[in-house]
Amino acid sequence: MRYVVIGASAAGISGAKTLRELDKKAEIILISKDESVYSRCILHHYISGHRTVKELDFSQENFFKKNNIKWIKGVTVTSLNDEGKSISLSNGDFLTYDKLLISSGASAFIPPVENLRQASNVVGLRNLEDAIIIRKQASKVKNVVVLGAGLVGIDALSGLIDSGVNISLVEMSKKILPLQLDKYTSKVYEDKFKEKGVNLKLDVKAEKLIIDANKIPIALLLNTGEEVPCELVIVATGVRSNVDFLEKSGVQTDRFGLIINEKGETNIDSVYGAGDVTGRNPVWPTAIKEGIIAANNMTRNVMIMTDFFGSKNTMNFVGIATMSIGMTEPADETYIEEVKIDGRNYKKIIHKDGKLYGSIIQGDLSYAGVLTQLIRENIDVSRVTKPLFEIDYSDFFNEEENFEFSYK
Amino acid sequence: MKRIKIDRNKCVGCLTCTTACIVAHDSLETRSRITVDSKGEYAPIFCRHCDKPECVYTCMTGAMSKDSKTGLVSYNKDRCASCYMCIMACPYGVLKMDARKQKEIMKCDMCSSTKDGTPQCVSKCPMAAITLQEVL
Repeated sequence: MRYVVIGASAAGISGAKTLRELDKKAEIILISKDESVYSRCILHHYISGHRTVKELDFSQENFFKKNNIKWIKGVTVTSLNDEGKSISLSNGDFLTYDKLLISSGASAFIPPVENLRQASNVVGLRNLEDAIIIRKQASKVKNVVVLGAGLVGIDALSGLIDSGVNISLVEMSKKILPLQLDKYTSKVYEDKFKEKGVNLKLDVKAEKLIIDANKIPIALLLNTGEEVPCELVIVATGVRSNVDFLEKSGVQTDRFGLIINEKGETNIDSVYGAGDVTGRNPVWPTAIKEGIIAANNMTRNVMIMTDFFGSKNTMNFVGIATMSIGMTEPADETYIEEVKIDGRNYKKIIHKDGKLYGSIIQGDLSYAGVLTQLIRENIDVSRVTKPLFEIDYSDFFNEEENFEFSYK
Repeated sequence: MKRIKIDRNKCVGCLTCTTACIVAHDSLETRSRITVDSKGEYAPIFCRHCDKPECVYTCMTGAMSKDSKTGLVSYNKDRCASCYMCIMACPYGVLKMDARKQKEIMKCDMCSSTKDGTPQCVSKCPMAAITLQEVL
């Protein structure tokens, strides 16, 4: 039996690891464009100089050797022949498989703003190579524009914030982290960023990148007519799934990415998928779980994905922690929003008819995981008579036979 | 593997377990706690070292890991990036960050890092409300 795994990020590593746990004898080959295993979520710690490349590795030590996995790195998969059960590689080789796991991830999407795609010194923040360019350029240039104030944009900003470079943050929405935060919690970060010298440009659009004869950026022209000086642009306006190599295969994709079912199966026998390549719920824990689930089903151990809850995140920028779960603002007037502010600690819970739909906590996040579970599982909290803000596991306490907890 | 069995009815909320935890880890804070439910009854909340550990699945640095032999879910603070995703992921609200520096996750290690090597909350509980049990 030969398993081939494409991709060395969360889903690929988790899939390959699980395959080895379940099948001690099989041949496992992992192919990755990446030359090293690293966590994309902490690339900003590399930019800021807080971590080395080695310290970005999230896998166990000697992962490939310990798990007897053959790793072909620095190579991309160029096409899939699902009838012949083989893949072609960018190094000219081709490889057959018995079962294939596609966890090829996604790439930064550069939006069609004039000159943005033609200019040099325009990077995303998705790959280690991006982070290396950013770190190198940050010491050379004076002005950087971060385009997009989602989690990746703010990661980039926080990686550069103490580097001395002038940073402008350009965002279409009226607030930063529009998907995760409400007005109050956004403003806390905005104020802190301003205090640290960041030039915030909210509620604006990028019209054109002004470049010199060598295609080096000079300034970003906004729809307001303002020109924001920059010699480096970090684009954080979204990603696209890496599914190009599937084009001539029979494997189905849609406008989001690879289509898989709850077992991680694609429409083609022996071809599975996991992680950001699906373009759905692109968060770390989902990728890890999908890797585990695909690997189980690849080894004929039936396992079903049940956790489709992707709207959950924590962040820790400029020393301020925030957690955001589910709804960030009441969807309509039937939802009740309750807010408690105590110094630097902010806690908001959105509920309706005895159930919780969303929560934002800023400051002290202690023991907040209970809220994730209550919101994700739609658990009735009407039995809790203590204040909503003091809700914890005690009112749901239940011990299973093996002394694990569950919700009663 | 071994898990700490909790008998809520025997718990009198004396917090000896909490103190034992702090002392054993030579820490300022506890890695377990006792809360009170809406009826006023004590609920000792201790890390389960889950078979399917959400904190491990969600950790993006490899700081949280499950040992397949011992069953322990261990935390390595040197690998931790203080992103707090594990706090969010624990379905039972067991985890928190240290209050002083907000850097380290307060995570039960079943006292494997301590000189006694066995859970001191269990050893010190005067009511035998928490006991160490072998589970499959």
